[in-house]
Formats: sequence, structure tokens, C-alpha cells
Amino acid sequence: MENAAIFGWALLWIICWGALGGVVTPRIYARKDLEISQASFGGAVIGAALGPFSLLPLWVATPKITNRLIGIAIAIVVGIFIAAFALADPDNLCVANGGFVISQLANGIVIGIIYGLMALGLTLIFSILGVVSFAHGEFYMIGGMVTYFISAKWLPGVSPLVAILASCIVTFAIGYLFERIFLRPMGSGEIERPTEYAILVTFGLAFFLQYFTQALTSAVPVKAQRFFPFPRAELPADSGALLKMTPGNVTIFDAVSIPNPRFTAAVLALLMLAALLWFLYRTWVGKALRAVSQDRQAAAVTGINPDSMNSLAFSMGAMLAGLSGASLVQVFSWLPQVGIPAAARSFVIIVLGGMGSLPGAFLGGLIVGLVEAAGTGCIPDATRAAAYIPAYGMVILTLVLLLKPTGLFGREL
Amino acid sequence: MNRSRTLIWSAIALTLLALLLAACAPQAETVGEAEPAAQEEAAPAPTEAPAEESDDMAMEPVKIGALAPLSAPGAVVGGEAMREAMLIAAEELNERGGIMGRPVELIIVDTEGLPERGTAVVERLINQDGVVGIGGGYHSSVGVAAKEVARDNGVPIVFAETWNDTITSVQYDEIFRIAPLSSEVSTVDVKFMQWLRDENGMKLEKVVILTENTDYGIPAAENTTALLDEAGIASVTFSVDIGTQDFAGIIERVKAESPDLIVTLATGEASYNFTQQAADAGIGPQDVPTMCNQVSLVSDAFWTNVPDGNHCYVRRIGLPQQLYNDVAQALVAEYSARTGKDDIESYAMASYDSIMLIAQAIEDAGSTDPSDIIDALENINHMGALGPITFPINRSNTPEQAGVDPKWWHQFPDPAITIVQYQEEGQDATETTVVYPVIYQTGAPIIVGQE
Repeated sequence: MENAAIFGWALLWIICWGALGGVVTPRIYARKDLEISQASFGGAVIGAALGPFSLLPLWVATPKITNRLIGIAIAIVVGIFIAAFALADPDNLCVANGGFVISQLANGIVIGIIYGLMALGLTLIFSILGVVSFAHGEFYMIGGMVTYFISAKWLPGVSPLVAILASCIVTFAIGYLFERIFLRPMGSGEIERPTEYAILVTFGLAFFLQYFTQALTSAVPVKAQRFFPFPRAELPADSGALLKMTPGNVTIFDAVSIPNPRFTAAVLALLMLAALLWFLYRTWVGKALRAVSQDRQAAAVTGINPDSMNSLAFSMGAMLAGLSGASLVQVFSWLPQVGIPAAARSFVIIVLGGMGSLPGAFLGGLIVGLVEAAGTGCIPDATRAAAYIPAYGMVILTLVLLLKPTGLFGREL
Repeated sequence: MNRSRTLIWSAIALTLLALLLAACAPQAETVGEAEPAAQEEAAPAPTEAPAEESDDMAMEPVKIGALAPLSAPGAVVGGEAMREAMLIAAEELNERGGIMGRPVELIIVDTEGLPERGTAVVERLINQDGVVGIGGGYHSSVGVAAKEVARDNGVPIVFAETWNDTITSVQYDEIFRIAPLSSEVSTVDVKFMQWLRDENGMKLEKVVILTENTDYGIPAAENTTALLDEAGIASVTFSVDIGTQDFAGIIERVKAESPDLIVTLATGEASYNFTQQAADAGIGPQDVPTMCNQVSLVSDAFWTNVPDGNHCYVRRIGLPQQLYNDVAQALVAEYSARTGKDDIESYAMASYDSIMLIAQAIEDAGSTDPSDIIDALENINHMGALGPITFPINRSNTPEQAGVDPKWWHQFPDPAITIVQYQEEGQDATETTVVYPVIYQTGAPIIVGQE
């Protein structure tokens, strides 16, 4: 970094004024007997954005802190951060190479969509059952394993869609059985400490699935072939300057490159997301699920059976994790332990987005995907950029929890 | 009624779970004493009921420990191969009548490729299982941590595949190694690159190194960088955590560097993930000359995980197959019969030798006392699958007296290193072309990406 001092001063500005705004603003709003739920978060980002030039008017006028105001402030903070980085390190690829930046953004969005899909399953389970499933990563692993074995070993040549469908059925069925046998007693009052019980029993399931799979398949990594290889094509035909496709990759404008397996995984995730939204918002069962997540007793009064909704939610959550795994088994080498980091990331995402919030989980996934891509691409020290991947999401999570403990879309307590 | 049914179901499920976990968990595996059938077949003597206590003592198995990564994030492919080879060694010893007439019990433990796990399992092997020597070992991080436990307890370890120089350079009496030194491997790598440039006309101005944040990866990358610098070749190093899956961001950065050659020092699944994702992004082994990690020599797993990996150069430790001695040929025959592979991986071969070395040292010492075994190892001359193994730099010929670097302490000096290349898609590792050094060459290298 050529001018590290510029970046350091900008960071110091953001942190100091942000901290001051986050601490002082809620006190001023409380003294004036105003709504303070957004005061800490809003004060922090408004302070971080323009320092005294925005904080003093805020403290004097004390306007209602709306999401729009917060959004503008966040945009300014991000702008300051980017400008300071660009001034400090003008030769950085993230500053000097537009194609690289767009490729990194594309990578971040693609992987973020898949993260989001997996986290959706976890948050769906939490919103209905009030349980954090520690076996979520193992459903992800099983989804990939089933897809691999069907498409590569048991029925080679079969359409990958059949293998993916089978993985959905298997993970849904395991989730359903597990909920009926082990989680159903929680709701009947038979378990004295249901929360602790749920943690232990899902942990048990996680270990069981992991080692059982290892016993069945061995621990040697496997990987499915590309589901839908791109055809070879160039546009224009002689140069490929606009579009160049090979079986493994598509390059647009000779600058932005997206590998085929990620592209198809993201498309599958988007299709599944659309189907999930349609199911939740357009069908009676989906509305019943949402009703149970909002108020279990009230939903029961209207004739919805909360126990059935529990089973459905857990099974669907497991299936969404399985589907994420099924779509990624063509991207990553697959092992019985492959779900551990994926599950850890999902926990980060749902806390970031707000426990139980479906939009929060999806947005959280995108944010984590983009931050990881930006961190990996832009940190000047090549020996550390990728080594910090697990930390990027944690940094964002820590900031959000400090400023908005309920997460981005969490229900206010 | 409902409650009791649930409880019954829960009890059944938990029992099954416990049984399965106990059966499947790769925590520790024993062969010999723990498998009566195998023991009976291998060593008839122990089945005869001894009448006196001294006979009881004499018939007690000699316990040898074995380290291998059998779960992620360790290099499981390597660990599985090592386990198989060490099991062959133990069974062979028992078939010959054991060690000093006593059966051999091999206790294999899973290091998971993690130093903290390695420390724990070595502690357990020594203080709980009572092993008199330990073989195997894959990850340098595990070796660096485990050597301290061995030293504290005075029990010898013969490392088979841990390359970090400091493992031997600290000059602990208990630590022996038949794997090559990391710095020596880096020297061969860079000589090979220079040979590609100087003798084969390959453009080589910049090399990208992908390494792992471990006690193997970091010093190996530093050594390689220093040697490349001396050779007038620029280099950029990217490092990742062991077990990293997603390389998309790093690959874009690698592409932006426009490297003339890529070296993958990351081991295990990370190396597969990187190589295939690089191929998807258009900078794989078919686009840019690439030195893949040695785990690529497990051809089945390699082609499953890296279908676009053709033209990879792979460093191979040990002699080419045509130069195998009788021990190596017999081992390959048995290993192939068990695994279906046509050849044995170098680290599996070294693992076999590490167990055999400990066995011979016990025989030579005529004792299972660890200090006697250490004395015997220092003076050993063992004909192993890797060739004649000795440790010429030892307490009676210290590095200072011999005028060599301390890294040669208790170090097998002659592990041959060759560079092979996959030249056909789906090719078996045994059919790869030896491209370097020229003395072993079986074909010319295919150099991709040259305009």
C-alpha cells in the first residue's frame, strides 16, 4: 500500500465518529423522549459518514431515523472507504482493473446466492421451531454426496436434475424422520429443557451423519462433473471480444470471467429461491408456515396444526441445505466433513440477517459472499488475502451485532 | 404411552448411533493384538496358552504407533494410502513371527492434519497405549508438534512424510526422518523450472506459488521464493488455510499476475480444489504449466476431482518404478492387490518403511526399551522399499563434526526426487512420464501455453 496513512486516517475518522454517534445519539433521543430503537445504529453510521457535519445537525434537529437515512449514510461510509483505499493503493487490482473488480463482484454474488439459500434453510427451521440445527452442514454434505453417487456411480449419464431431485428427497426424508422422532417431544412438554435438548440432539445427528457417511463412502474426496457444460462459442466469431464460452467458463467483454459450475449452481439456487418464495407467499401451506412463525398459539386457533408445520419446516430446511450441497458438489471436492465450514458460515449469516428472517438470511448470504470476494481480491498482501476468508464474515457480524444486536432484519425485542 | 414410545425410539436410535460411531470413528485402529484372527494367522506362538508368567511377558505384543491423517482437514487421500501400507507392514512382521518372537500390535491414530490433534494422539499412544516407537506422519505441522511429545517421553518417531526442516534440525535424539527435507525438495523444484527455461526454451519470468499456512507450506514457499530469486525468476506467493475450498477470489488474482508457471504447495483436497477451479477459470494445467501437489499421484482421486488436470507436473518422491528393489516390488504387489492401484504412493512406501525400520531397530537392540531402540536406529542399515536406509548424521557423527547443516540430523540422506507429468487424460500415476531429472527421463515434457 503506497499511501497507507490516507487509508489509516479515513478508517480512524469512520471509527471515531461512528463510535461517538453510536454512543451519544441514543442518549440525546432518549432525553427528548424520542424513539430510540434505531438511534444507536443510525447515529453510528451517520457519524461515520460525515462526522461532525452530520452529527451536529442530527443531534440538534433529532429527525426520525428512517431506513432511508441509514441507507444513505451507509452508502457514504462505503464511498469514503473505497475512495480512501483507492487513494492509498492506486495500483491495487481492485482500483486499477475494472474487469477484475467486476469478476470479483460476480464471484461474490454467485457464491453469496448459494450461501443465502443454505442459510434460508437454517433460518426457516429457527423461525418455526425455535431451534438452531447443528446438523445443517451434514444435510448440505448429504445433498452433495447423493448427487455425486447418483450422477457418477449408480446411474452415470442420468440428468443431473434427477440426481438433484433425489438429493432433495433424501434430505427432506431424513429431516422429516428426525423431526418426528427426536424433536416432536419438545413441543409436547415432555422435555424439561427443550432448548438444550435440541442443541444436543442436533449435535448428535451431525456426528452420526458425518461418520455414517464416512463409513459408507470413505473419506476420499469426490466431485461431480459439470452439470451443464457451456457450448464452445465466440461472439464475434473471430475474436470473442464480447463473449467467449468454453465448457468450463464464460468470459464477457474479454474481462469478466465466471466459471461454469458456479454459474449453474447460482442459477439452480435462484430457481429454488423463487420456488420457495412462491410456496411461502402463494400457497396455503406456506402461509400457514409463516403464521406459525409469527404466533404459534394464534395459528393453532385458526386450525393450523403447529406440529405438522414443525415437521414441514425442519424437512424443508434440511432439503434447502441438501440442495445447496447438490448444486456445489460440481464446484468443490466433497468429503464427509465438508459441511462443517458451510454450517459455521450459515450461523454467521442468519445472525447477521436477523434470526428467523428469510430476507435477512438471503441478504446476509449476499453480504458475506461479497465481503469475502472483496477481501480476497483487494487485500494487498497476497500471502494473507485468502487466509483471512473465515474472518471477513466475522468482522461484519461483529459490527452488526455491536450496532444492531437483532441483526439486519431481526425482530425488535 | 406417547412418552414411552418416544423414549424407546430415542433409546434405540441413540444405541445405534453409539454403536455406529464406535465402529466408524477413525480415532485409533489396531492390528495384530486386536484382531485375533489376523494374529493367529500371522503369529501362531501367542495362541498357545503360556503356563508361566514369564511366558506371558514374552508373548505380550510389541506395540508400535502409527500416525496418518484420516479425516479432514487432513489430506485424507494420503492418510488412507499410508494406513494401508502400514497395515501391510504389521501383517508382514507378524507373518514372519513378530519381533523377538512377540506379535506386533500396530495402533494407527488419526491426526486430522492438525497439530493439536497430533499432540493429543501421540501423547495417548505413548502414555495410554504404551507404544515403544511411532511411524508414519504426513503433515509437517503435526510432525513439528508431535516431536516435542516424543522428546518429553523419550520415545522414537520415524517420520515418513513430514518435510519441514526444523523437525530434524532441532537435533532431538528421538526424531528420525525418511521423508525428504523441504529445502531439498524446493531445490529440485527450482532446478526443474530452470531446466524447463534453459533447456526447453520455456518462457519463465514469473511464477505463482499457492501454499498452505502450515509448518510445511510456509517454509517451503519461502525456500522456493528465495531459490527462484537467485535464478532470476520473479514470484508471488498466495497462501490459504488447510482445507480451503473456494479459490475463486485468489484465482482471479493469480490470473491478473499472468504467471508463466504455477506451483501448488497446498496439500490434500485444497490442492484438488485449486487446480480444478483454476482449470475452470482458464489457467489450469492445460493452459499454464502447473506443478501440482504430490497428492495428485493418487490417480483415481485426482481424475475424479480434477478432470481437467492433464499435463500437471507432479513431484514424486522415491525411485521410478523401473528401479524398484525386491522389497518395493513385493510391497507394490501386495498393495496393488489390496487397493487395486497399479503403483504405491511415495508416502505410503515411506510409511511402510517407517514401521519396518522400528521393527528392525527393536530386533537389533534386542529390547523394547525406547532408548535402546534409538541407539539401534542411529546405527541401522535397513534395506527398505525406498532403498538402503541409514541415518549417518547422529550422536557419534554430529552435524558439526560432519560439517553439514543441522537439518541433516537423523535424516535419511537419499530419498530420490523425480518430476513426472500426466500426458494423457485419465492416465494412471504409474504410466506418467518421468520428465526430470534427465537421468531418469522416460519422455520429453509437454509444455503448454507457449505461443
